[in-house]
Amino acid sequence: MDKILRINMGASGGPSQSIEKAGEFTALGGRATTSMIVAKEVPPDCHPLGAENKLVIAPGMLSGTTGAMSGRISVGCKSPLTGGIKESNAGGQPAQVMARLGYAAIIIEGKPATDDLYKIHIDKDKVTISVDNSLKLMDNYPLIEKLRKEHGDNAAYMSIGSAGERKMAAASIACTDPELRPSRHCGRGGVGAVMGAKQVKAIIFDDKGCQQRPPKDPDGFKAANRAYVEGIRKHAVSGEGLPAYGTNILTNVLNEAGGYPTRNFKTGFFEGGTNISGETQAELEVKRGGLATHGCHRGCVIQCSGVYNDKDGKFLTKQPEYETVWSHGGHCGIDDLDTIAMLDYLDDNIGVDTIEMGVAIGVAMDGGVIEFGDGEGAIRLVRDEVGKGTPLGRILGNGAAMTGKAFAVERVPVVKGQAIPAYDPRTVQGIGVTYATSTMGADHTAGYAVATNILKVGGDVDPLKPEGQVELSRNLQIATTAIDSTGMCLFIAFPILDQPETFDALLGMLGAFYGTKMTGDDVIALGKKVLNMEREFNKKAGFGAEDDRLPRFFKTEPLPPHNITFAVKDEELDELYNWG
Amino acid sequence: MQTSANLQLQLTLNSVLISEFYPLLQRGVWLPVTTGCSVMNLLNSQLGIAEVYVQDRITTLFLDGKAIDELTSAYIEDGSTLALSTAMPGLVGSTMRRGGHLAAMRGEITCHPSQAVATGAGTVKIKLFNMLMKEIGPLLLERGIFLSGAELITLLTAGGASLRNGCDSVILDGFPLPCAELFEQLPTRVNPQQMMLLKVIWQG
Repeated sequence: MDKILRINMGASGGPSQSIEKAGEFTALGGRATTSMIVAKEVPPDCHPLGAENKLVIAPGMLSGTTGAMSGRISVGCKSPLTGGIKESNAGGQPAQVMARLGYAAIIIEGKPATDDLYKIHIDKDKVTISVDNSLKLMDNYPLIEKLRKEHGDNAAYMSIGSAGERKMAAASIACTDPELRPSRHCGRGGVGAVMGAKQVKAIIFDDKGCQQRPPKDPDGFKAANRAYVEGIRKHAVSGEGLPAYGTNILTNVLNEAGGYPTRNFKTGFFEGGTNISGETQAELEVKRGGLATHGCHRGCVIQCSGVYNDKDGKFLTKQPEYETVWSHGGHCGIDDLDTIAMLDYLDDNIGVDTIEMGVAIGVAMDGGVIEFGDGEGAIRLVRDEVGKGTPLGRILGNGAAMTGKAFAVERVPVVKGQAIPAYDPRTVQGIGVTYATSTMGADHTAGYAVATNILKVGGDVDPLKPEGQVELSRNLQIATTAIDSTGMCLFIAFPILDQPETFDALLGMLGAFYGTKMTGDDVIALGKKVLNMEREFNKKAGFGAEDDRLPRFFKTEPLPPHNITFAVKDEELDELYNWG
Repeated sequence: MQTSANLQLQLTLNSVLISEFYPLLQRGVWLPVTTGCSVMNLLNSQLGIAEVYVQDRITTLFLDGKAIDELTSAYIEDGSTLALSTAMPGLVGSTMRRGGHLAAMRGEITCHPSQAVATGAGTVKIKLFNMLMKEIGPLLLERGIFLSGAELITLLTAGGASLRNGCDSVILDGFPLPCAELFEQLPTRVNPQQMMLLKVIWQG
């Protein structure tokens, strides 16, 4: 990955392209690459949908190698949903193929002068940017079917559906999985709207004639990769729970803890929880001839995804994730898996973030648009309103905050304009700190359980002291930013958290691949550097301490069944970025 | 809480049919036990689950909705609900883990050590999640669970042909009954309001 492709969609005479040396980004990846480029090149006060914003795409540090779990792709820009910096990542095949093509990043800038729609084809010899107005307003599944006929099944595709073209702030960018289904999404923050604003409908990566990226120390890399895979496979979470039930394994546990936000965060327990749990979902998938265990990209050894078939045994959608099952399920008072699976398919097809869409519908239910529990109504809202770009659809498709304003709802669960995911911060106060202070807006992956006890980020924390909430969140956010910067799947967090030898194996892979020795301190320094850049960008975009807050109702409305409120003080939240 | 049943039912089933009980096990089953004991005592001494399995495998537990860190100082009362799970993914999954590094993040719902309560005959509701349904579920069903007639009807109806075909014998209140008869005459044999004790003997 020694080059960067820069495409100016607004060049006079039509889009232009240039190749630059990757320089400092040669040995970086993922969030580090996207956030550094956005922080350096995008004016923080620009309009997210304007010509000055840039869409940056980067594979992980080990994408395109034989390294396991290395297939995450990151997309960065200024977010039309939050107004701040954004990194959103996904699985699927594009990261592996893009990396084998040798690109450390693709930067799409400018804005076409006409209303033509473009596709970008990249192979080992050339980059072709062409007008294809026949693709206008196509949604992802039929779009990929059409593109496959032209570009074949050996390519990997990134695309936007009609929501992206309509520049909805919840719009996602779809990435194809190994079966060429557009089922993996860079979902959060409206990155699809930025791609739509650039009038790029699809990017096709074809690595025919390319080889796997060679490590500097092949034997060392092979040995470290073997130890790393063994560590993942022997761990109860990554080797057993996730493959068997997927992320939706969390529904029962969150519900039992009273932390499962139900009917727009009114209670923490959903009476229909077991009907939509990962355990129930996996049984149903297998009974219908689908799969409860499936990888989102080649090289995945965890296989936390699956295939969800309809009642007739035909493919309906990929296994909906926990957050999707929650947003369209308990959050909306819906306990029917087929309804939720249909909504997941519609979201993927239209190209919207499943969290933002589900939360927006729940807020709309609170505003009286339809009743809680109305599954058919929810399908109609997504399919016929968002999918067709009606005025109501555009309100919903612009996210929960917009929907809350449109329907005068007081309880709107967002931070920095982005919907809060499936874990109530009153029950798990530490995650509330992360929701409030993340540079990304409310984001459950911003402070993941990544090896803080091993890395000792910021020193040891006494977990019994209340003030430990902020310190834990800080450490988690630093470590997570670092892992995001490697472009590895976040689910490696658990074998790394519990098994120091697996963390060493990961460092060993990075070291053997790049021919350098990487330490835990290097990882932490990288995490802090990226977070500082993102924080600085947001400050210049107009964010202050008042934006690092949860909505007030979390402080004033006790959440049943435990009847607790969010108790971390504002001044404590303000300490999060004081790491010296 | 109820400690006796109006009707006793014993089924002999093929062991693969444990999956038919998963919905019930997730929602929770009532067990007759001696209450007033610690969680460890209940699981190990009363239910016969090996201590090493409890320590290593059951890493996420909730007693009446509160996360447990100490197995020996959390006490079971008559009517308590105990939910059991293996290790969970995600930040919150890790946070819920027994005695985990991130336990402080859910301090408000942590089950704090309590005084021992009076011992006596009682019932506890046990919920099993994920792998534990397959691993512990058969043991609980062998021991016997309380359930309502309505729950039994739902279970046997949802199980349909696979449960009927995999049923080797039925004993209802001490009397053998042809399997087909139980399934065909469910509405007349079982009152939905009736409390039952169901025991399962596993084959294969």
